[in-house]
Amino acid sequence: MKHILIIEDEILIQQSLKKLFERKGIKVAVSSSGKIAIDMILAHDFDRIICDLMLQDISGFDVIEESKKRYSPKEIGQKFVIMTAYNSPQVLSRANSYQCKLLNKPFDNLDEALRIMTE
Amino acid sequence: MENRPNPLNQTPLKLLAIHLDPQILADLPNGAIDPSVFRCVNANEAQFCLLLKTSRLWVQFADGEFCDYPYYLKNIFRLLESFRTYSLTNTSPSETFHSFIKTTEAIEKKIFSNVSMTPGENVKDLWDEIIKKVNAISAESHSLKGLVKKILEVPFLQNFQSSLIILHLKGQTKAELMGTIWRSEHIHGLIEVKDFNLAFNSIRKSKIKSFSTDAFIKLNLPFNGSFLAKEAISKKYSLIAIVSRHDFLSYGNEEIELFETCIDLLQPHFERLIDQEFSNKKISELRICLKDFPLPLRIRDGQSGSSFMNDLYRNELQDQDIFYNKKIKGPFSLDLYDSDELRHYAFDLFHFQRISLLGELLNTLRHELSNPLFGLKLSSQIFTTLEVANDDKEIMIEIEKNVDRCQAIIENFSNMYQIQSDIKPVLLKKMIEESLVLAKSEIREVTKKISYAPGTEDLHLNVPLIFVVQVLFNLVVNAAQAMRSQTQRAELAINISLMDSNVLIDISDNGPGIPDDKLINLFKPFFTTKSQGTGLGLVLSRNLTLKMGGNIEYQVNENKKGACFRVILPLT
Repeated sequence: MKHILIIEDEILIQQSLKKLFERKGIKVAVSSSGKIAIDMILAHDFDRIICDLMLQDISGFDVIEESKKRYSPKEIGQKFVIMTAYNSPQVLSRANSYQCKLLNKPFDNLDEALRIMTE
Repeated sequence: MENRPNPLNQTPLKLLAIHLDPQILADLPNGAIDPSVFRCVNANEAQFCLLLKTSRLWVQFADGEFCDYPYYLKNIFRLLESFRTYSLTNTSPSETFHSFIKTTEAIEKKIFSNVSMTPGENVKDLWDEIIKKVNAISAESHSLKGLVKKILEVPFLQNFQSSLIILHLKGQTKAELMGTIWRSEHIHGLIEVKDFNLAFNSIRKSKIKSFSTDAFIKLNLPFNGSFLAKEAISKKYSLIAIVSRHDFLSYGNEEIELFETCIDLLQPHFERLIDQEFSNKKISELRICLKDFPLPLRIRDGQSGSSFMNDLYRNELQDQDIFYNKKIKGPFSLDLYDSDELRHYAFDLFHFQRISLLGELLNTLRHELSNPLFGLKLSSQIFTTLEVANDDKEIMIEIEKNVDRCQAIIENFSNMYQIQSDIKPVLLKKMIEESLVLAKSEIREVTKKISYAPGTEDLHLNVPLIFVVQVLFNLVVNAAQAMRSQTQRAELAINISLMDSNVLIDISDNGPGIPDDKLINLFKPFFTTKSQGTGLGLVLSRNLTLKMGGNIEYQVNENKKGACFRVILPLT
């Protein structure tokens, strides 16, 4: 895991995660906007994309849909980790359809969450 | 044209097998069918059928391997299509077939110049005809099923064998498939929403609207081959309309365009029929529910003047006695007959409305607070793991703890206001504490004395937490308000004791108390001594305790000034 993109509009969460990853020696890019994140994803090669679902401009699922331009469904499943505070059945089933990992906010266990995000 | 491979030169053509009606076969000159290219099969082995002007041509592909050769297949389809077009202009089928086999060049020309089935010069007439027909079938259809079937009567769809729609009403767990296949057989089925959504999205994104059943296996369509599909969406539903000829031929651009327009034209009619059918269904379900409703009730339709009433209403009610009249959705209004029972229910209704509203608010609040709280927690966690001075670290740990506390408080509140169907035993002490937290601002300057008789402090009760908290909250707030203007120190006492198989919670204050002449009306609805009171607090509270098998009583205290209310709750 060398290069991670964090898409999260809650600045405290975004910056905290950035710091935590940087401490592990990982290069981190961040975006508060889904639209800007899409441009970043299409232009750079990230090993992992951690994406909040409720963004201000578009939803995290929209970001994943747009990323299909660059990545195959299999790669999407491997690259994306979805973070959400609203884990309704609809959200869960949609996240499952992308085969990517899902983390509930707030994290019950920070170390465990970090492990999932970087493994 | 030079770049296109000639389909007839490709060796895989030998996979093509045909069956001809004996009549054509007899009519064919010897050697018309080259056995190295074609194999004769029986009609029932064939997978596709082409209707010619005077006869039928059955075609089968061997080994089922055709899916791997899309380009090759496409050419064969085009070839067959051209054969079909060609045959329309020739009188004898054998003659046609002969030319088809022998004069490949002419056919090639046909392939690429005339793959469309609809004659171009008559387009305008056809349009008019289609619009006319669409309007006619919509007007004469009284059910969705009927309209779907009639789609096949639209002029350009007359060669089509089936017409289906898959309908998903918002919020339903299954989508419904309905329609006609082979122009006669009616079919009906259910499809998982997940599969419906996948299909819906790929159809929505497709520009050509022409598909093959291979790609939609999950829909379990009752035929094989290619089909035209178009999606339609409204606030209440999404649907996919499908028509198919039951063959593997691709569709001409004109056909696709006509089909799309046709579905667009039909959409308002779909909407109307869906509305109608589902409101009928809803009404009949409602009638069943209302028939056994325990109170006299009538629903009037303001437009038609008709009304529905249940048996109790019929027996008891006069118009002038209407206690509760409420406009409900549509042109309807609801009448309830005045009775003690109804008043009892009505308070429950107000109570539950209030609780569910609060629940919603709290839920929103929880979601809105969760994110910033989580951010605070994460960032404070970072600082606690940094090499910082111990004092600072403690502050950070304190911040983290406080964040957890905020999170816990908001979660407790929102959980409390969810109406729970399953009741778990709750610590009585917790209920009392929760109600005091809720009433915190009202009892700010009041001295509180809570005393538990032996054995009551760790008592668990099998009652809904929210009911008890609501009752205690009401009583505590009443007491606090009664003591508000007094000069002496306000005192609130809560005493918990046991009596027989009940637990008693006495809530007393040292306020002015309740004058004797008011006592008689104490638990009557809308009776209040406060300028801004609703007169519902005590009624609601008593209703809630009655529901739990308990009661509320006013305790007359001879020696002491002030009011005392006793909440009685059963232990089991």
